[in-house]
Amino acid sequence: MKKIISTVLGILFAFSLNASVANAAAKEVRVAYFLEWPSPNLEDMNKKAYAKALGVPVKWTNFTNGVAMTDAMLAGDIDISYSQGLMPYINAVKAKAPISLVDVAMEYGMGGTTCVTSKKSGITKANASELEGKKVAVPLGTMAEYVFTESMKIVGADRKKMNIIAMDPEEGAAALVSGDVVMACLFGGNSIKSATSVGTRLLTVDEARAGGIMGIDIVSVTNKFMKENPGMVKSFVELTHEANARFRAGKSDLKAMSKESEMKVADMNDTLSGFKFLTPKETKKSMKSGNLAKFLKGFDTPRGTVNTKFLP
Amino acid sequence: MITGFLTFLFFFAIVGSILYGRKLIKTEKVDAVFGNPERSKGGIHWVIVGSSFLLLVWLYYSWDIAKSFFPKSANELCQVGKVNESLLSLKYLFPINERQLKSTSVIETETENLDNTIFYIKKSDKVNSQNKEKLINFVTKTKSTIPLLTNEKLLNNETKEQIRIVTEKINNLAKDFASIDYPNESPEEKTKRIEASIEEGTWSASSTSVENTIEIPSIPKTKRGLKFQTAAVELNLISDQFFELRNHNQQYKTVLENLKKEIKDFRSGLSPSDEISSSFAKDILKIARRIEYASIFPPKTLKDMQASIVNFDEVQKKEQGGLRWVDILLFPSGTIISSGPSCSEQGSGRWLPKPSDTVNKFALMLNPNVGFKQIPLIWYEMMDVSKIIGFLLPDWIADILPGEYPIHNEKGEIKPNFKSKVLNFVTGDFELFKIPIPTGHIWDSFLRVFLGLVAGIIVGVPLGLFMGLNRFAKGFFDPLIELYRPVPPLAWAPLVISVLGIDNLGKVFLLFMVSLSIMIISARAGASGTQLSKIHAAHSLGASKWQILRHVIFPNSLPEILTGIRVATGMCWGTLVAAEFLAGTTGVGFVENVAKKYFQYEVIWITIFIMGMLGLIFDITIRKIIDKTIPWRGKG
Repeated sequence: MKKIISTVLGILFAFSLNASVANAAAKEVRVAYFLEWPSPNLEDMNKKAYAKALGVPVKWTNFTNGVAMTDAMLAGDIDISYSQGLMPYINAVKAKAPISLVDVAMEYGMGGTTCVTSKKSGITKANASELEGKKVAVPLGTMAEYVFTESMKIVGADRKKMNIIAMDPEEGAAALVSGDVVMACLFGGNSIKSATSVGTRLLTVDEARAGGIMGIDIVSVTNKFMKENPGMVKSFVELTHEANARFRAGKSDLKAMSKESEMKVADMNDTLSGFKFLTPKETKKSMKSGNLAKFLKGFDTPRGTVNTKFLP
Repeated sequence: MITGFLTFLFFFAIVGSILYGRKLIKTEKVDAVFGNPERSKGGIHWVIVGSSFLLLVWLYYSWDIAKSFFPKSANELCQVGKVNESLLSLKYLFPINERQLKSTSVIETETENLDNTIFYIKKSDKVNSQNKEKLINFVTKTKSTIPLLTNEKLLNNETKEQIRIVTEKINNLAKDFASIDYPNESPEEKTKRIEASIEEGTWSASSTSVENTIEIPSIPKTKRGLKFQTAAVELNLISDQFFELRNHNQQYKTVLENLKKEIKDFRSGLSPSDEISSSFAKDILKIARRIEYASIFPPKTLKDMQASIVNFDEVQKKEQGGLRWVDILLFPSGTIISSGPSCSEQGSGRWLPKPSDTVNKFALMLNPNVGFKQIPLIWYEMMDVSKIIGFLLPDWIADILPGEYPIHNEKGEIKPNFKSKVLNFVTGDFELFKIPIPTGHIWDSFLRVFLGLVAGIIVGVPLGLFMGLNRFAKGFFDPLIELYRPVPPLAWAPLVISVLGIDNLGKVFLLFMVSLSIMIISARAGASGTQLSKIHAAHSLGASKWQILRHVIFPNSLPEILTGIRVATGMCWGTLVAAEFLAGTTGVGFVENVAKKYFQYEVIWITIFIMGMLGLIFDITIRKIIDKTIPWRGKG
């Protein structure tokens, strides 16, 4: 009997121990990022400039989607998510995740996130309503889902009538190649490349821009990290903007960037051409009243999670 | 209400059953020694203890007990969370939860960083000695700025005064906070607040939609909550005031300005080939600016402030009163945390939804009009029998008939002819009568497992028997099967899905592969395990080959085969969910995967329960079949 009680108490005690390890002392900053999603600050990552700027080692971990980034932040494994998509962020904040938006990583047209229809299906912008009743691959909960929804509004097809299959970009591209789906919405240079080898973009980059489809990737931090290490957040944001300025001036080390993003330089430049890295001033405007603010408002995001005080 | 009742029920069930069990031991047969199987028979009371304990743990760690006994505690803890949130930055400066003073740890890391910089400068062979000297000089100068910040005598009077004001404010707040009539709220404000809080709702997951909007109301409902909320607002202001403060005395400013200017001059004076020197200089500047931005103060300056914060913390803990105990006892492994505009459950309450919420949400999702992503969990739809005929009859029957399909005439009408009518018939494009057909996520998953299993049995059992009886079959198929069998089924998933597609075909084929190998192995083991004497007996009575197979070997291997089916069912469920994760439009695995993306923990747990239940139903059915069909099991 005693043994039973002691076992039970032991189990209860083990449960009570908080699983997430506190990172209060911040001996290391853990940053999440994407492969195949180039940005000027990858050069600094390559040259360990972040560790110098923050004064502590910086550990970069790559993720395949922004939802997983939030998961890791909630579990206490990631402090800063660089270039998290706005959709995963909005979903997380709506689910009351304690994270904040501190910077805009980039704005992009449909260059980086797009829907591709297969050539075999013969579906283009003109007869897009034929998508109804057919199978389309969409990575739900990501920016690609937003692009999908908006594109369907532009071409006048009813997304409710489509057979939407939840697939990550790599699998979506594979399904498009094998002909399982007639359209795949995806992001990531390599995925788009393999999809466009058998298909065409439903909307060209210009058409998408004209239709007001624009993606925004952001930098999010856990509230705990932000409250405890505001200096580090500031240094991180500052260095990122320095890298962006260097890129705008054409002084970036493209080789280092391509190495870290695991893309060929030519492919990377192609992807980068669709990105717009904002200046600190533009960022502030976007966050307060510009594109970002409108976007957040359009999705009924709870207010008070955007913080502009770390911008240089 | 129900939860509270259930909590007591489970508790007493556990206590009662344990007491009953102890009583039972005393009356137990004396001759049942250890090792006697008699001792493991019966014991339904231990089943009650086991399941009650499990449910109690669920109620406890999902904080449902807290919710049912103290429904307002979450709202109050949210206000407490607001206070803690506003205190977080201030507390972090002091060795309250940390080991070191923030200033100390900043100085420690930055000194180390500066030393490292000197080391790298000295080691670098791309920097000429003249620049090295200058760079080291910069480092030393940066280092010398630290004492300017930590010297008590150099501290500005204005800064001192500011710190004093902040300290006083915190002390005053602590004093006010302890008094009963803090804060002053007019009756109008009170009615307004109460109205707003009623509109906001209570602590629970939404029971009208699959998505959760507000889980924890953040407008204070009680007097105590209001007290904490008001204090949190004031503390935020105080904290902001303090962090605007910089300990930058005139001397420090001059030295830093000079340093910045010197580094700038140095960098602009460098030739483009001295890139390394330039980047070193930049790094040094970064460290200098980091020191500038960090709140470094002389060691004793903030003593009073620290005391005031510790004091406030104690006061607010005292003011929590009974709530503190509720927090400690009924909110295990986590608590309510405030972040920005809203409060949330962080800890086990986040990922372990409350039983009451889960049941509500399950009931909601069972409603065929809600379901998940416009598809019901399980429901029926009316389907015309003609569709089945259309599925069974091949379409080319119409194509091979003589004649042409009708062409529209000049009036734009199409007159059907015999050939087109046949086509309509074989494609099922006509109306007969309708029968109800099950549909929905659960049904789809069930059907996939069922089809994969049946296909595996139909192919695997004869093949296994054949392999157990025939040398050629054994030798021919053995390498193939032994090679693919040990591979975990999921390893096939990406490949199968690429080849056979993301439709049901690919998934069913994957499950077929899983069940096939198990069925072959078990049928083969059953066939080769038949006792020779029985075969000889049948032979001597003049049985033919077929009769021996049908009446001796097959019944003998049935126990093995049916056990194989049970094992295969379990494996199929495991594989199915993962396959539906990869690509899916329906199915339980798909629901779970999508719910994960939107952080719908209730839905995730519902899918887990559904899968457990379905697996159990499958297993029980097969066990019943085993008992019915092979009463000779274990007796041959």
